[in-house]
Amino acid sequence: MVEEAQLAAVETLGDPGDWLTGEQRIAVWREVRDSNTNELDRARRAAVSPTAVDGTHPASAALEAAAVEVVHRVASDSGRLTRTWADQHIAELGEETYTELVGVTAIVTVIDRFHRAMGRPEVPLPSPVDGPPQRVRPSGVGDVGAWVSQTTGETRANVTRSLSLVPQTNQLWRTLVDSHYSRGPEFMDLSWDRPLSRPQAELVAARTTTLNECFY
Amino acid sequence: MSSEANGLQVDLGAVLDRHHVGDVGVPAGPELLAFANAVEVGDRDIEDARRRLAQVIGEAGALEAAAIIAAFNGLVRVADGTGIELDEGVFAASAHDREMLGINRYAGAANSAAVTLVPGAGQQGVGSLFG
Repeated sequence: MVEEAQLAAVETLGDPGDWLTGEQRIAVWREVRDSNTNELDRARRAAVSPTAVDGTHPASAALEAAAVEVVHRVASDSGRLTRTWADQHIAELGEETYTELVGVTAIVTVIDRFHRAMGRPEVPLPSPVDGPPQRVRPSGVGDVGAWVSQTTGETRANVTRSLSLVPQTNQLWRTLVDSHYSRGPEFMDLSWDRPLSRPQAELVAARTTTLNECFY
Repeated sequence: MSSEANGLQVDLGAVLDRHHVGDVGVPAGPELLAFANAVEVGDRDIEDARRRLAQVIGEAGALEAAAIIAAFNGLVRVADGTGIELDEGVFAASAHDREMLGINRYAGAANSAAVTLVPGAGQQGVGSLFG
């Protein structure tokens, strides 16, 4: 299930997205990988505050500088992002593009982290598919207290609607999370029958979020 | 919550101590924590950590642990990158633990400053997520 979902994600990531072209989505993946060794990212992570470090990420062939900055910060130091920083980049990029950048960064991080954990080489970046992004803002989204618009109304959990502003990316994202962790209705079973017991799975989840200093 | 359902007494403080890789009250806990730390912070060899884990819980278990580490690397980036609030039920149910364990000091806590508690919200709990 995990490996099938990963393969499907890799095959899809080169397609035109919600607001990013296929070339831009692959460029995001390239920047995520660069963030692992990027000196500016490393210096920011080591600093008491990331804003204490001078320097900017330059634009790439496919991504403007603000987009590169979003990808690098989300990839390398997401636990210390602030609303002020997000608002600045949302104003520059638009909230739909910002949201897709976050989503694609998360998706490719899942793929690369799994390969690292399994001792496998990184998957080759897929070839981008030509064509325009959909550029359709879904109906029924609005301010729910997050930094970007999301589906309004009742929700089981805010995290399940966090990328709802970009439906195509959201579908890919939700499929990955479901296959790697939650497994649909199985999630409600606190003593599920899987290779890892529920407490073992939650232990791994809790330690991973701790190491990333995630409040949510 | 799942630990209670499975009759375990988990040392949550030790789980959230990023350097601790010993017993926390969960079977194979030391191996699971060592594997997560190896993947995330590189404080030990990933191959060795995964092999030790697989010896205790099997290859399928090690693969599932890798998948969960990967998934939560995505989840934290989505949550922090979109600035979502902690859900009311979890906010209420976790208030004491968050304070005791220092989680309220994380930068992302600011995103939930406007969350208000509603009567009975704490009964909903973590189990409502993702379903």
